[in-house]
Amino acid sequence: MKSRRELIMALGAIPVLAACGGEAAPPAKAEPTKAPAAAAPAAPAPTTAPAPTTAPAPTAVPAKVFKVGLVTDVGKVDDKSFNESAWNGAKAGAAAIKGESKYVETQNPNDYKKNIQQFISEKYDIIVTVGFLLGEATIEAAKANPTIKFIGVDQFQGAVVENLAGLIFEEDKAGFMVGALAALFSKSGKVGAVLATDVVPPVWRFGEGFRAGAKYAKATTDIQIVYHSTVGPEKTFSDPEWGKATALSMIDKGVDVVFGAGGNTGNGALYGVADRKDKGVVAIGVDTDQWNTVPEAKAVLLSSGMKIIDLGVSDIIKAASEGKFKGGNITGKVGLAPFHDLDSKVDAAIKTKLEDIRKQLDAGTLKTEVKPAKG
Amino acid sequence: MAPARPGIALRLDAALVPVLAIATALVAGGAILWAAGPQLEGPWLGLQFVAVAYLSLLEGAVGSRDAVIDTVLRAVPYAFSGLAVMLAFRGGLFNIGAEGQLTIGALFAAWAGFGLDLPAVIHLPVVLATGCLAGAVWGGVAGLLKARTGAHEVITTIMLNYIASQLAAYLLNGPLRDRSPLNVIAQTPKIAEGARLPDLVPGMHAGVLLVVAVAVVTWFVVWRTTTGFELRMVGANPDGAAYAGVGVVRRMTWALGASGLLAGLAGAVQVAGVNYRSTLGFNVGYGFDSIAIALLGRNTVSGVLLSSVLFAALRTGATKLQFRTQVSADIISVIQALVLLLVAAEQIVRWLYRLQAARAVAPAGDDEGREVAPVTIGSAETARTSK
Repeated sequence: MKSRRELIMALGAIPVLAACGGEAAPPAKAEPTKAPAAAAPAAPAPTTAPAPTTAPAPTAVPAKVFKVGLVTDVGKVDDKSFNESAWNGAKAGAAAIKGESKYVETQNPNDYKKNIQQFISEKYDIIVTVGFLLGEATIEAAKANPTIKFIGVDQFQGAVVENLAGLIFEEDKAGFMVGALAALFSKSGKVGAVLATDVVPPVWRFGEGFRAGAKYAKATTDIQIVYHSTVGPEKTFSDPEWGKATALSMIDKGVDVVFGAGGNTGNGALYGVADRKDKGVVAIGVDTDQWNTVPEAKAVLLSSGMKIIDLGVSDIIKAASEGKFKGGNITGKVGLAPFHDLDSKVDAAIKTKLEDIRKQLDAGTLKTEVKPAKG
Repeated sequence: MAPARPGIALRLDAALVPVLAIATALVAGGAILWAAGPQLEGPWLGLQFVAVAYLSLLEGAVGSRDAVIDTVLRAVPYAFSGLAVMLAFRGGLFNIGAEGQLTIGALFAAWAGFGLDLPAVIHLPVVLATGCLAGAVWGGVAGLLKARTGAHEVITTIMLNYIASQLAAYLLNGPLRDRSPLNVIAQTPKIAEGARLPDLVPGMHAGVLLVVAVAVVTWFVVWRTTTGFELRMVGANPDGAAYAGVGVVRRMTWALGASGLLAGLAGAVQVAGVNYRSTLGFNVGYGFDSIAIALLGRNTVSGVLLSSVLFAALRTGATKLQFRTQVSADIISVIQALVLLLVAAEQIVRWLYRLQAARAVAPAGDDEGREVAPVTIGSAETARTSK
């Protein structure tokens, strides 16, 4: 009995340790993904995050509080990139308007509708759905519930639904920037990208943007791009083993800069690079500044192609609380994360060149020439 | 023939271990929930938290009309493929391939649904039959390999799973892909209106009735026909069956084919009743869960149906549990795994509750309540360790 109690306490302590064990950077610090299977159930524990919004279940809800619900794609709110960033935005947005926030993680792609319905039936005011694949279900739910506001992250809106805002990003530009950085930084002249499926347009735009950027910065660069397209949606963003194996095989073929993009699959690529630290290879992360979220890869992380999802989501939530919600597409910000540990290794010339590219992309004088989706 | 009906006591005994296993798993799951949940002061709040979690699970699974419908619908594919695995088990064969057979069944059913232009009356039967046939072929291949070359069905069915999933990836990205400009997902077009299963009540398709019918037929074939008798003979003792003049090779092929047919039907019913199309990755482990379901159901028809509902209820209620507690829904997978672990290693349960060792041999002529292959291994160990 005694040892069992100790085990339980040990499991319970993990999230706490993780929450106080890091820098003062992003909210909701999570522990490493490589946690042993036994500790997995304890992993997400968002209740230990700084946000005061996630009250434990049994507490009663005071009257009329703005309620924000979030449905992830098949992935976790502590995936260290996409879903986590959106969840941080939802928490921050809810906190700013003194509301409360809850999430449901999707485990099965057949459940999008059901998980959204969970928040509808609990009369939530704003429902955030994360990921391109939830697009159809979100549009359906928004049309059926005109009084609820919906935010679809990465969901391009073909036709405007008044109560549905699609938060979209110019991933091709972010991809272009990291592609250019990779090509300029590479010593071997070989760069690679490990991505989730190309049927998801944002992933495709990252990948093709990377290709275009690398080519633009240095035409002779050998560019290897691999998409994880032969598996279904339940797997493509959550296959770190595949990501790692793919990254390792690229490195073995001489690639010295690897861009990993696509939830945990992309994180796998970062782990692969971290494994070959002594070979001088570097990694580039995606969506958030992964120097903060993937501590294993800190030493090898050159930068990240960021989509500022959290800010985008929390801004829309704030706007909604002030009655300024607008349906249709809203374009969020993209950018390069700082170089952190590797800052001294990046020549001033490269930095100048990147700044120049960023300005040209912003001004529209330089185009990525990437189609919105795979044709 | 005409065996004596098993007595109530005997049935209770057969159900005892699964029920205790489920109860034990729920208790252990509660401890994990407690640990995974927020830091609470004192055991009282902790217990309360676990209670809220389980009540949410229950409410999410059966707490409303929609919840009940959701649970029942989710049980449908589990039931079909659980019966599939059970059927093969009865013939002494481990069908690990229900996953692939289900995928193939769904794929070809969808093709028949959008590719063929038929009047509504026969379109639906054709869709379901196509799914069955495709699944039967997929399972039958493993059966033939087993019968002709002795290749172990565990290996061949696993390998056929890989082939099935890659074939699905190819067909759904290629020839069978929905070419409409708005579609960016690897999926077929929607099947024709006439090929869809009608609703029994709003929101619940008629596949539920089909489950009941198929369960009855399966029971009848396995326990009341000569074919079924021979199947069970082969399962119990292949050498004995051969000596008694049963075509063992033929029966094995038949068993895996019929098993594949049921798994294929599971896929076809998902297509005709729920998704109206086949999408890459829609089959999220139904086939693998069904092995567990057959085991938990002790390879009886009623047991399979009950465990399908249990699995479906756990999965359906998980959303509510997660919503209320903000604990990962993975907890449900852990509880399921614990149930299975305890059923498979029934020695643990028997030890925990100081139960007597399993009966070594069932009364002659009756094996509705008797365990086959893997569980008998457990019983053998029971006999050995209790010496």
